Amino acid sequence: MILLQSPSRFLLQILQTRVLSPDKGVDLDCYSVEFDDVRYHIQYLMKYPQFLLLSISLPAPPPETVFIGGLPVGALEAVKAAYGSVVQILDPPKDGFNLTMKLNLLKIPRDEDLRQALLVKIASVREVVLGAPLRLILKHLASKTVAPDVDALVALVHRPRESFFLVPQAEKVTVVFPMRFKDSIDTALATSFLQEIVEARRAAGLSNAPPCSWSPSPPLELKGAPSEALMANAGFVTFLIFPRHVEGRKLDKTVWNLSTFHAYVSYHVKCSEGFMHTRMRRRVESLIQALDRAKPEAEKSKKTLQGKSFKRLSLKESRNNSKS
Amino acid sequence: MDPAASRPAVVIDNGTGYTKMGFAGNVEPCFTVPTVVAVNESFLNQPRVSNKGNWLAQHSAGVMADLDFFIGDEALSRSRSSSTYNLSYPIHHGQVENWDTMERFWQQCIFNYLRCDPEDHYFLLTESPLTAPEHREYTGEIMFETFNVPGLYIAVQPVLALAAGYTTSKCEMTGVVVDVGDGATHVVPVADGYVIGSNIKSIPISGKDVTLFVQQLLRERGEHMPPEDSLEVARKVKEMYCYTCSDIVKEYNKYDKEPSRYIKHWTGIKPKTGASYSCDIGYERFLGPEIFFNPEIYSTDFATPLPAVIDKCIQSSPIDTRRALYKNIVLSGGSTMFKDFHRRLQRDLKKIVDARIVASDVRPEGTVKSQPVEVNVVSHPIQKFAVWFGGSVLASTPEFYAACHTKAEYEEYGASICRTNPVFKGMY
Repeated sequence: MILLQSPSRFLLQILQTRVLSPDKGVDLDCYSVEFDDVRYHIQYLMKYPQFLLLSISLPAPPPETVFIGGLPVGALEAVKAAYGSVVQILDPPKDGFNLTMKLNLLKIPRDEDLRQALLVKIASVREVVLGAPLRLILKHLASKTVAPDVDALVALVHRPRESFFLVPQAEKVTVVFPMRFKDSIDTALATSFLQEIVEARRAAGLSNAPPCSWSPSPPLELKGAPSEALMANAGFVTFLIFPRHVEGRKLDKTVWNLSTFHAYVSYHVKCSEGFMHTRMRRRVESLIQALDRAKPEAEKSKKTLQGKSFKRLSLKESRNNSKS
Repeated sequence: MDPAASRPAVVIDNGTGYTKMGFAGNVEPCFTVPTVVAVNESFLNQPRVSNKGNWLAQHSAGVMADLDFFIGDEALSRSRSSSTYNLSYPIHHGQVENWDTMERFWQQCIFNYLRCDPEDHYFLLTESPLTAPEHREYTGEIMFETFNVPGLYIAVQPVLALAAGYTTSKCEMTGVVVDVGDGATHVVPVADGYVIGSNIKSIPISGKDVTLFVQQLLRERGEHMPPEDSLEVARKVKEMYCYTCSDIVKEYNKYDKEPSRYIKHWTGIKPKTGASYSCDIGYERFLGPEIFFNPEIYSTDFATPLPAVIDKCIQSSPIDTRRALYKNIVLSGGSTMFKDFHRRLQRDLKKIVDARIVASDVRPEGTVKSQPVEVNVVSHPIQKFAVWFGGSVLASTPEFYAACHTKAEYEEYGASICRTNPVFKGMY
């Protein structure tokens, strides 16, 4: 797995089993937590067999981002547009959650492909809700305009109390990620990983990809941002998104990849650590083998059946031992 | 307060056959996947050439290949459709054998299935009662070094299985756990939450052997099935049709009188040609699970039936715990799911116990009549993932966070903090 997938496996699995075998009558009430502190709660009661309640809670927003009624700008409209009549939004949401949706299982289409597409879409609720403001801005970019009521610097939440920044313009959108890691090893790995990304972008095959740059200090675009948002121990990554990156079907993918960029980097940092451990283990094993081979024949102790080893003493030696 | 403690802990129960994973506080695991990894190791065997360009290609192939692997059902289907992937089972007989693939397996569990950030959650992992301290250290090392978890608790499977019964009835932390998994069968006496380590009995017959025995029976009768698929068919037959009978001879008679009622049919599709085939499923329905009660029909070198092993285990336990142990025999693991397994076990065990009491009563010097011993085999519907459920219950209590090894402790003392588990008090 190289990229994180948009639909949540957990939601998709539950939805599929519920929709495909509705007669399996068991109450369901379970929680799940995803990266960046997105939480889900799914509830299904036998009393109301056609409804399924899905609640989602978002990471706590930092002060510079705009939330309306506990949701990012345009999230409600995005949910309605994405799911249509299948979903009914409950107001107020369940305690401790930002959004509660009531899914009407009877309205899910019977056709195999349509149904699967809709279920995948519901499982990607995170992308729809959290990515709504980003999608709005990128949609305007696709038509080469700037939304009328938008600031020069937009902050969007992507992790608890952390945000990334957008500078929307008619020709391009500049996206800046302040990268923060808790662990010092992670920070070092992430820094070199990000520099490697910038390097890889220069390769000939990727000339159409969004230009990106990395700098240890805040770039000029972030002049108006609050100072605590400018503290980043792994530097700042800047992407330039052009209209060609958000044409038609590319839009969804771009929205998802941008809004989970931090999780992507963190996943790969963990993978590299795992890979390094594998290499280290292999190296230690080969060194131990080399040491074993280097032992002179006489020193080799006799192995017993139990895997224990002990040195056989000759008669003379044992006599010496007993004297001393 | 630690922000990670406000989120539910991640509970992963790695079994030989299946891995159960999910979040604490839920009733069911989020995912149950086969413990198998399909790795692409084609890049490892390439000849080493000093050519610079080739090195670069090899390097990038290697970098990609370390992410090019699948786990669970995906791994099984990938390895079937292409030959670039090799299947690797990281756990054998309840013990982790291959740490590289185990690390990868955990990586996918965390990032691809549960999709959580390991830095945000406490972790509860499980281990079989016979795990070596070194293995526990290794687990701790991987969890703290690679995944940076804030806290880790390595629980002992039978104790969790007992804790699972805790909510279904009353709190009872004394009992014998009969854990029949896919790769290992253990009989573990637990007194007041402490494992009596010297009395753990394990027998070399487990779920996998039932599968192999069913396969052998099907093959010997000459059922037409493709050889490459036969193990898979046997596994499905075991999971869907096998049950425990009370008497083999009666059961044979039943089948012979009314074959149409008892003999099932299996239809499948040959993977190579796509043609369909079908075979009959007869006596193996009850003969499969019978190997726990009459092992001599399956293997020649092990002939002690499971009830006798349990009895021996309890008889060698401290005398003041024996009655309590007989009273609470808890089943756990997927291979105890056969219908009426617990009835048969209880009946056979009761027979052994009663015979002993009768024998002691007829002795002339015994003027005191002994009290009858209550034998009770507890069975509950969540048996299949009882260990996971116990973990979920345990990890949702506030005391759990205090019992964990934390990252700070690990950095202070090293992996040795994971060596011991308090439930083995006095063992090491």
